[in-house]
Order: sequence, then structure tokens, then C-alpha cells
Amino acid sequence: MNMTLKTVVIGSLLVLAAVVFVMVILPYADTNKTTASDIFRERSPAEAAGRTFYIANGCVYCHSQSIRKVDWGLGAERIAQAGDYLADHPILLGSARTGLDLSQEGGEHPDDWQTAHFINPRYTRPLSIMPAFAFLGMENLKQLTTYVQSLGLKDADKRMQRQRFWKKEAIKAYESGPVANVKWLHEQVPEGWRNLPNPYPTTDAGLARGHKIYQDFCLGCHGPIGDGMGPAQPYLYPPPLNFTILKGRGISGGILYYQIMNGITGTAMPYFKRELESEKIWDVGNYVAVYFINQTDANTDPRGIDASYEP
Amino acid sequence: MNEADLFEERELAGKSKVITQNYATAKGFCITSAFWMVVATFMGLLGATELMAPDLLENVGWLVFGRVRPIHINLVLFGFVTPGLLSSAFYYVPKLLRTDLYSEKLGIITVFAWNVMLVAAVVSLAMGKTQGREYAELIWPIDMMVVAAFSLIIFNIIMTVRRRREPILYVSVWYVCAAVILTAITYALGNIIWKPSSGALVGIPDAIILWFYGHNVFGLLLTPLSAGVAYYVIPKACRAPLYSHTLSLWGFWSLLVVYTHIGTHHLLQVPVPTWLKVIAIVDSIAMVIPVMAFLINIWYTAKGKLGEIHADIGAKFVFTGTIMYFFVSIQGSMMSLPDVQRVTHFNNWVVAHAHLGVLGFAGMIALGGIYYILPRMTGRPLHSRLLAHFQYWMVLIGTVGFTVVLTIAGLIQGNAWLNGETVYRLLPQIHVYYVSRAALGLMLFSSAVIGFYNIIRSMFFSPGETS
Repeated sequence: MNMTLKTVVIGSLLVLAAVVFVMVILPYADTNKTTASDIFRERSPAEAAGRTFYIANGCVYCHSQSIRKVDWGLGAERIAQAGDYLADHPILLGSARTGLDLSQEGGEHPDDWQTAHFINPRYTRPLSIMPAFAFLGMENLKQLTTYVQSLGLKDADKRMQRQRFWKKEAIKAYESGPVANVKWLHEQVPEGWRNLPNPYPTTDAGLARGHKIYQDFCLGCHGPIGDGMGPAQPYLYPPPLNFTILKGRGISGGILYYQIMNGITGTAMPYFKRELESEKIWDVGNYVAVYFINQTDANTDPRGIDASYEP
Repeated sequence: MNEADLFEERELAGKSKVITQNYATAKGFCITSAFWMVVATFMGLLGATELMAPDLLENVGWLVFGRVRPIHINLVLFGFVTPGLLSSAFYYVPKLLRTDLYSEKLGIITVFAWNVMLVAAVVSLAMGKTQGREYAELIWPIDMMVVAAFSLIIFNIIMTVRRRREPILYVSVWYVCAAVILTAITYALGNIIWKPSSGALVGIPDAIILWFYGHNVFGLLLTPLSAGVAYYVIPKACRAPLYSHTLSLWGFWSLLVVYTHIGTHHLLQVPVPTWLKVIAIVDSIAMVIPVMAFLINIWYTAKGKLGEIHADIGAKFVFTGTIMYFFVSIQGSMMSLPDVQRVTHFNNWVVAHAHLGVLGFAGMIALGGIYYILPRMTGRPLHSRLLAHFQYWMVLIGTVGFTVVLTIAGLIQGNAWLNGETVYRLLPQIHVYYVSRAALGLMLFSSAVIGFYNIIRSMFFSPGETS
């Protein structure tokens, strides 16, 4: 084959033209007809404004918005459909999960948690490696939060509605004083769990594990001594629970377990059932009971048969 | 007598006629590459450090990780590697054509415009002015500067080819012509330059065209320019004819046909049409054809002559780059398989792959080209061969280290995610790999500083002179 300038230039251009037709134009004709999915809605101007901060600060480099069939965890309740992205200009699928997938982040937490987290992510999530975004200023952070709370579109709207409803209830309970607040919190735990003691005995090993889990997951809000004065506290309302005033108020191992597992929607308390397996929740619950409440029901009756490894 | 011998002979015979060449453009791109490698690796080091110590630069907005990362990537692609490869191209294209570059003046203007473009890119990204699309972040005015710079290069190269005194076009020249012409077009397409405000389409079509372009940054820019350098340096260093003209042809045309089809393998787990995914996977596997056609050609040319390659620091870089190309390409083909991608997608495995390709293959060859042409441009030996060898080993250890460390981190992440572990829970587990990565980044940054010093000394100072 004689490679002249003409052969190289025209040949290359012809190849590229053919490939662009197959790999860009045909797929465009195909995907351009996509219709809205069940959760799709347009974005409000405030949400669209918040999205510009998401783009400007490169959130897309660590956060995907692309739920796959193989995923677990946040957002995995719904596998992404082409019709979810009709308002995304540009689309922000992302290519790495240095952080979470945010497809369904909207309504996962209330706004005040998001604010504390943006001010410094380690305030609410001590192990996070996300940068602090306080430099954006409160006004911009508010817009960014509005966008983040819309992720998931109609599904996010439902979750936000739930957050707002329970936020009101939680504030009402908090403002009616500690006794009423604790009573209200207990009432949210199903009957069966309330009288359930922690089934594992208190051991040094268990407390050490609980201590580690507390530092990795809880310390940002509840504080190193469990008084609810962690670094996130100034941003949260109702504020994080002060464990040190709970002695004699009927806290059982089961209540602690249930609240850690399921969280308290409306408040900044997230659920931990995806991140902590059963024994870890019992361990951190008992750590809180022993060190901060100074009262534990670990391994008391009714306790069933002891696990085979227990001393 | 075969083709490459012919070249050699004609080139020697024609030597007296090309002494007017002053290599101003090649030197300009050489300094550009050496300088921006320092900045680019620093940005990489900074980003790696932020992942390890997130509050190090707390609330320094313009250096937040999400802005540092695109600066790092754009500078590596368009600041360090592309100018490095272009430097060699502006040296060997006139040589292979037995003529002067059409216009050194135009070349210098291009170098200047290119550097203005890079400064604008850094400033705009640091200010948060971005279009938010990976590899297509730069805002519209800078996009236009990139396209304009490529157009100047196309004009200069094509005019040089047209004024050649050598009738036969050597394979390196094909690659340079195709690379600059096709990149100018795919860059304009991928950056949606007809929509200046957003530079994007809406929804899934945007993802498809983005990755068509994104992968072609490697397929139509870095790879052909690197192949061009390898095709020039390896036969020259070995003083051997190129192994096969037929393989050159196969490698060239199959690269253009196959590589351009594979971008959608970035979207295998995304709702795009299945037929598109099938094409992307099939062609990703078929990448073995252009890759092996090129590598067999180069390696058989060097067969039995590794001593000559080892003796020339430039050729040593280039040859190592071809070995990295083998590994990164085979790995890339594998990663397009859906079963493999279930584990590798979204985590540090891909970051390892990217460093193996852009640093190990294209970056190594860019540096090799520079070290090969530098003494030939100045007519003096390198300022320090020791420093060049030192840089070689630092880059080699850095690349291999990145690959090992990030692949381990990626496997931990990918497999744990499949088991239902959350991203947050894994952070402490991969921390140690982030620390190792930052340490290796420090080594690469140091190597860039050494290289910059060595290149500047070699270019502007006589041996033994004190700076």
C-alpha cells in the first residue's frame, strides 16, 4: 500500500466519519427518544443553581450518580434508568466512588445534617476524607444542599416530606423537656425491643470494640464524652442526645440497638444498619450504656441461652 | 534494500541540505513539557495528599480536591505528555522528510499559544470554571484555543509534508498527521463546541459522546503520537531497519478503526443501548490487533539489539514505554469484560490503569523522545546522563508502584462493595494505600524537578558551566 499524504489524511477522515456515524450519531438517534422515568421531574431554579456548585467544585470526581445492578448500599433500592437523566445537562454519572453514589441522596438526611457535613464532613462522619466546604459560604451551601436533597427526584421529594414531618415531631418532643423527649423517643421503638436487654455480657474486648465504633461513627455529634456536644452540635436541631442524663430513664439494650440500627428520621441521627452488623451495634450500644449512661442491662434476664463463645 | 535503510541513507545524504533547521519549535515544546510535568505531578501529589489528610488545606477553595484533580489530569494530558510527544514530532517529521519545518515562526507562535492555553486552563479550573465533564472540563474559550493550536500544528505539519524532498512517507509521519487532524475534530465534537454555554448535551447522549471523545484522547492523540516516536527512535537507536512495512500498515489502520469504537466500555453498567456496549466490548478485545502489530514490529526491530537501546537513555525510556503499552493494553481489553468490570469499576483499579497508560506508556515515551532528540538538537551531550537515568528509575518505580498500590486498593474496594460493604467502612482499610500513593507521587514530582533541571541545563548551558 502506497501511503501518500492524501491516503493518510483522507483515509483517516473517512474512518473517523464512519465511526462517528456508528458510535455517536446512531446512538444519539437511539437514546434521544428516551422518555421520562417514573421518578423523573424537572429541577426547580434553586436546585439547578445548587447543581452549578456541585459542578464547579468537582463533586463528580468522587461521587457517582449511577446505580448498577450489582450495587448495595445508598441508592441501591433503585437501579438507574435512562429516563432518570433527562434534565442532566451535563450528565454527572461520575467515574469513581471515592465517596458514596448520590443518585438517591435526597432525603437521606435532614438539611441541618447536610449543613454540618458540608461545613466539615468529619463533624458528622469522623472517617470521611471529603474536603470541607465552609469556604463556599452559608448562602451557597444552602443552594448546594437544595440540589443534593433533590437527588432521586420524585423519590427524594417523598423522603424529604418524611424528613420534614418527623423533624417537626422531634422538635416538639425536644422542646417539651428531657422527660417528655425520652418518653417520645421510647415510643418510637416497637414494643418488643423496649424490654430487650443486651444479650452479650460486658467484657473489656466488647467495650474496646464499642469504643472504636463510637469514635468512627458517633463522636462527631454525640461528642467524645457522650454529652451531645460533638463538633456538629452547633448546626443541628434538635441537638444530639446527651447520654449522660439518661440514667434511670428506662434505656434498655434493645432501645439502643433499635435506634442505632434504624436511626431517627427527621433528626440528624442516621440509620447504621448498612454499615454495622449485629454484634457491632450491640457493642457500641453497650459502650454508650456503660461509659456514658452508667447503667447497663447487658447479659441480664431474659437472655436465652448464652452464645457458645461466651466465657 | 528495505524502506528504513533507504531512509537512513537518504537522510545521511541529505544532511548537508537541512542544516538550516534550528529546532525552535521542538525545543519550545520540549521546555513546555518539562515545565508542566513539574506542575502536573505537583498537582497529583497535592490531590493524593488531600485524600490522605483531608483537612490539610481546609477551606482553601481553589485547591479543593475537586478542582485539583482536573488540573492534574488536564496538565498531564495537555501540559506534559502531548507537548513532549509533539516536541519529538517537530524534530523527526522534517528529518524524515528531508526538509525544514514549514515555519519555525508559526511553530513558536503555537508553543506560545499552547502555554497561554495551559495557564488559562489552570486558572479557570482553580476558580471553579469547569464544564464538569471528565477530560472535557475546559470552558469554551479555552476549547477554542485548543482547537486553534491543533489547527496551527496541522497546517505546519501538512505544509512540511507537502514541501518534502523525501518521496516516501515513513510510518511516524502517518501517525503524527492522523493524530493532530483527528484530535482536532474529536476534541471539537466531544467538547460540544457548538454549545458554548454548557459544552454538553443532555442525559445519556451526553455520556456517550463524552466517552467517545474521552477515550480518543488516548486512542487518537497519545497513542499515535507515542507510536510515532517509538517508530522513529527504536530503529534509529538500534541502527536496524524497521521489521515490517506490512505490520506498520496493519497497526496504523487497525488503530484508527478499532480504538475509536471502544469509548462506550466506560458505560457498560449504565442504561445505554446494548448493541453499543457489544460493539465497545468486541472492539476492546480487538485492540489486541493494533497493539500487537505495533509491538511486534518494534520488538522485532530491536531483537538482538537491546544493548544499543540500553546505551541510549532516550531509547531506554521509549522501549520501556512499549513494554508498559503491552501491559496496559492487555489489562484494558480485560477490563472491558463485564465480569471483570463488576469488580474494577468505580474504584482505584481504574486509577492504576490510567497511570500505567498515561505515565508508563505515553509519559515514558514522551520523556524518551525528549532525551533522544535533546543532544541531537543542541549538538552537545546531555548535561547529566546520571540524572536522566535517575529520573528513568524514579518514573519506572513510581509507575509500577502506583499500579501495584492502586490495584490492591481497587481490589479491596471492588470486592468489598460486591459483598455489600459500604464506601465509608472501607476508608480506613485503603488509607495505607493512599499514603503509599502519596509517597510515590512525591517521588514522581521529584523526578519531574530533576528532569526539568537536566533539560534546561542541557539546552542552555555548555557542559561544565555553572548555572
